[in-house]
Amino acid sequence: MPDKIKILYVDDEPDNLIGFKASLRLHYKIFTAVNVPQALSTLDNNPDIRVVFCDQRMPDKTGVDFFEEIRTSHPLPVRILITAYTNVESIIDAINKGNIFRYLKKPWTETDLIAAIDEANKFYMANSMLSIKNEELQKAYNELNKFAHSVSHDIRGPLTGILGAINLAREMDDAEEMKEMMFLMEKSVKKLDAYVLSMHDYYSLQRGELKITEIDFNKIVDELKAIYDINAKINHIEFKVSVKQEEIFRNDAAPLTLIFNNLLSNAFKYQDKKSKTKSVEVSIEVKKNVATIYVKDTGIGILGSHVGEIFNLFYRSNSIEVGSGLGLYNVKSALLKLNGQIEVNSVLHQGTTFKVTIPSI
Amino acid sequence: MMNTEFSFIIVDDGELDRFLTRKFLELTYTGVSIRSFQDAQHVLDIIRMTPTGNNPAQTIILLDLQMPMMNGFQFVEEFEKLPPEVQKNYKVVVQTILTSKNDASDISAISAYKAVNSVIQKPLSREKLLSLIEQLKLEV
Repeated sequence: MPDKIKILYVDDEPDNLIGFKASLRLHYKIFTAVNVPQALSTLDNNPDIRVVFCDQRMPDKTGVDFFEEIRTSHPLPVRILITAYTNVESIIDAINKGNIFRYLKKPWTETDLIAAIDEANKFYMANSMLSIKNEELQKAYNELNKFAHSVSHDIRGPLTGILGAINLAREMDDAEEMKEMMFLMEKSVKKLDAYVLSMHDYYSLQRGELKITEIDFNKIVDELKAIYDINAKINHIEFKVSVKQEEIFRNDAAPLTLIFNNLLSNAFKYQDKKSKTKSVEVSIEVKKNVATIYVKDTGIGILGSHVGEIFNLFYRSNSIEVGSGLGLYNVKSALLKLNGQIEVNSVLHQGTTFKVTIPSI
Repeated sequence: MMNTEFSFIIVDDGELDRFLTRKFLELTYTGVSIRSFQDAQHVLDIIRMTPTGNNPAQTIILLDLQMPMMNGFQFVEEFEKLPPEVQKNYKVVVQTILTSKNDASDISAISAYKAVNSVIQKPLSREKLLSLIEQLKLEV
């Protein structure tokens, strides 16, 4: 059962407070205060109070004035005025200034109160949803900004290179040189293609819903071997895999595959070209509903000062092999979806180990 | 004639871009000294280690702006901290995919550095290179 809705009632007459509490405490969590300072400290200590009732006639301050004050200091709770006599002017005034959500006439009935709380709670929920949506929008805008900025380099970069190559081709006669240039142009086109593909990953991760299936890590590893064995052979990299899975594991396969692909392509890409013994090692163990995955390489490593930033959108740590700045960001988003964790341990010029833990659902 | 006047350093993280700049230069001037690097920090180190004085040929640094690790802005920033007798042996020419239309603030920021001689927009062409060299010759 969800937590009870928290309500504060401010009234200088203790009898009213007792009556209020008695009739509502079964369904709501009721706080009471006999004066304004007490009310303010209750609000400070309970920022999740959703509805505040206040009596209009109190010795130190009117209810309308109290609401005017908390409207700026505690804007979230919905404010409802309780008034014994129909002081129409002050009520109209308070409503017009936006100080109160509605008012109740004394003596109140329990039905009136519950109806008022119900309406106030709906209003409160709508407001908080709005602020959550607002935050999400802000985040989306920030990412959009980063995208717009990155597109200039990541898409225009290879494109202007290819355009320059076309300019140069007009002046070139040597067929061997031309072939060399074609090779570099091809690399640029592939880079563009990879960028567009990782963009696609980015969007499917942001928008997609979870699809839980049973996951056989042996099968995943077989698929990875099919992809990376060729790369390992060509570049003389030893590719070792081990899987220990004796129990059922359930989660979404698509983000999981994305994590493997990104970590592995990095492990192969960032090898030390001068090193004699190059290896990439994947080990997976499923135990007590948790999959622990290590991806270990003997590559160039990551500078200690960069480790904290590698999961950021469009961050690139390296000038030798330039990535899209999306790969590890996508890994992090995928892990968020799978409710998993990632740790990285890297020694410059020796290699990097990623440890990923993912719970079974 | 050109050979005694200039030598070139290319700083660009793009493999294809380095190739293009080198080929365009070679097409235009045979026998000229061209060195190319993908890491701007490395170039700074080389400049620092190059003895000054008995170096009549000016070196043109063709500098890309957007690079990981040290970018073009950071390079120029560091370059301007070098002693004046070192700086005077080099001219920095920025080569970038940024356009004065879309990236006006970045272009004017990089042009504002004293060390930056001129800014060329990629893609490179023989015409752009020729007019750049003509302009640099006039300044010598």
